[in-house]
Amino acid sequence: MLMAPALLAMAAIVFYPVISTLLSSFFEMNKMGDWVRFVGLGNFSSLFADKTFWVVLARSVFWTVVAVALKTLAGLGLGILLNQDYRGRGIIRTLIVIPWAAPVPIAAMIWMWTFNSQFGLLNHFLKQMGITSRPPAWLANPTTAFWANLTVDVWLGIPFMALAFLAGLQAISHEYYEAAEIDGANSLQRFSYITLPFLRPVILVATLLSVMWTFNDFNVIYIITKGGPMNTTDILVTYLYKTAFLFLDFSHASVMAFITFIVLLVFSLAYARLYFKEG
Amino acid sequence: MMKSKWVVLLAALCLVFALAVSASAKTKLRVVWMDYDARFNTVYQTMEQDFEKENPDIDVETIILPWNEGHDRLVTWIAGRQAPDIANTGTRWVLEFNDMGVLEPLDKWLSPEFIKGFYPGALEARIKGKLYGLPVAMSARTLFYRSDLISKPPATWSELVKVAQDVTSKHKIYGIGLSGKKFVELTEFVYYLYGNGGSFFEMEPDGSYGKAKFNDKAGVEALQFMVDLVHKYKVTEPNVTENDRGSLQDLFIAGKLAMVETGPWFAAMLQERAPNLKWGVAPMPHNDGKPQSTLMVTDSIVMFKSSKNKEAAVKYLNFIYRDKYRLEFNKAFGMLPVRASVGAMSYFQTPYYKVYIDQLPRAKGWPLMSEWSKVEDVLWDAVGAALLKIKSPKQALDEAAKEVDAYRKK
Repeated sequence: MLMAPALLAMAAIVFYPVISTLLSSFFEMNKMGDWVRFVGLGNFSSLFADKTFWVVLARSVFWTVVAVALKTLAGLGLGILLNQDYRGRGIIRTLIVIPWAAPVPIAAMIWMWTFNSQFGLLNHFLKQMGITSRPPAWLANPTTAFWANLTVDVWLGIPFMALAFLAGLQAISHEYYEAAEIDGANSLQRFSYITLPFLRPVILVATLLSVMWTFNDFNVIYIITKGGPMNTTDILVTYLYKTAFLFLDFSHASVMAFITFIVLLVFSLAYARLYFKEG
Repeated sequence: MMKSKWVVLLAALCLVFALAVSASAKTKLRVVWMDYDARFNTVYQTMEQDFEKENPDIDVETIILPWNEGHDRLVTWIAGRQAPDIANTGTRWVLEFNDMGVLEPLDKWLSPEFIKGFYPGALEARIKGKLYGLPVAMSARTLFYRSDLISKPPATWSELVKVAQDVTSKHKIYGIGLSGKKFVELTEFVYYLYGNGGSFFEMEPDGSYGKAKFNDKAGVEALQFMVDLVHKYKVTEPNVTENDRGSLQDLFIAGKLAMVETGPWFAAMLQERAPNLKWGVAPMPHNDGKPQSTLMVTDSIVMFKSSKNKEAAVKYLNFIYRDKYRLEFNKAFGMLPVRASVGAMSYFQTPYYKVYIDQLPRAKGWPLMSEWSKVEDVLWDAVGAALLKIKSPKQALDEAAKEVDAYRKK
């Protein structure tokens, strides 16, 4: 009974939109988003026949895997560094949080201008340092634009990882390390036999969250390249947005939302199993 | 204490009711206008007051919406069965609203002489022979050039190449701007397509759009010319796929571009942000041997089917198209005249406006179809692929035509 208000709120803001979107993917919709008629799996089959969709989906997966891997590695390294005892640690820890503290759209805009080949700081720097006299137009070519977007996404995601790992590391008692040291374990052995096993739950949770955020990272891509040049930096969520709000094709957008939901759900369940197996 | 509160409330309710009754004695007209400019202006208020003075039995309610919100607000009102009587819209929305079946055809309400007073090209909102919107604002695109570096602006494509090469080699500046980043409209390709006598679609005898035509000789030549400007003549900025119309305008303002193709709003931007820059406007260049043409964009005013006061609405429409109010509107917002009688007024006989107005008879608009945003996206990708040399112009446009035709058949 006491949970009723909370459940009601959940129903209104979580279940209703989710279920309505799921149902929508089985309907043909008009441009106002009203259901016109039931088409069963028709929306699915026409979406699956669209080559762009598969390219975008594959790119989303690649984007997520690479970005999360980089964020995890960098975050782990930073977490370990921040866990050491040295002067000015507090200041460094604060500085690490800055990318996280900046509002994402503003950070993305600053990066967009940084990458700008005419006015951007990056190319100015490359030219001034004599590294190259003809620096690339980063956002003008598909490959460089993809990696530019990815860099920004990673840059934004590192602080969370670093802080999560730092918290995990701080929870590991010093006694284990001392005992291991007495037994003659070197630093690599201490890392792989003490740090990693203890960090395992934190790594699982942090990467799971990161996967969801990265897979759905709309802000960075939409602001920096809008999915361009051509469609070459679109991931599923930006493509979905265009389909729904630019082309007013709500049926296929719903299907894409459905697929995103399923992909992330399956992924989360697999992860949860992994997590609870140990716990 | 409690009691007195109720009394006050009751009195207030009575007052509201009384006011409502007295107001409903007049015919009420809800009119939506768009906020063309953030600057202070009194155009809409003046029109409302003058109209009410002439028609004491009609009460006009003027609602002014910002462009960014306008479309969604109107859609919400329509869906909630609260559409206004009259609304100022982007002409593209007219197609969409008509798809929803909420627009009133205007031919039967307005006299043929009145309709004849518009520039024919401005009457875009004609769907299957019926007129659903009256043009209310119009802009045409022109070539802006640095008058201190270019003595005679190019009229044709071959002159354009020459002038651009000339100015690039003499000054440290890019010849002409070209944008390959997706933007709200398919800039540049449309200028070169129209400047080569091309068009996007075949026209069916009933006035509807047929198959894609942008991949014919005119279209391929236009795209090839754009690619050549970038890769063969090397007279554009090198990073074309990074720029959209906005960043090209920035480049011109920063003094890095000698020529850019855009619309009349850019004049105001230049006056504000680069008061010392010397610039001029010229008709959009065209391919040698093809007629000059440019893009023209209109906004339209529509009447909703649901309006209960169509007679009053028609009166209002006739009223606001008097030359006096039209001139005031165009002055306030820097727009071009849509009626020939206004275009002939002395205000528009300056060299600046002459460039625009002289182009109008040959100017063409966007294709008006409800699938346009998808078509535009496909074409953007084709243009991008050609500019990046991933596909040849012919291949890119052929594939785009196939995709567009398949999409529109659905």
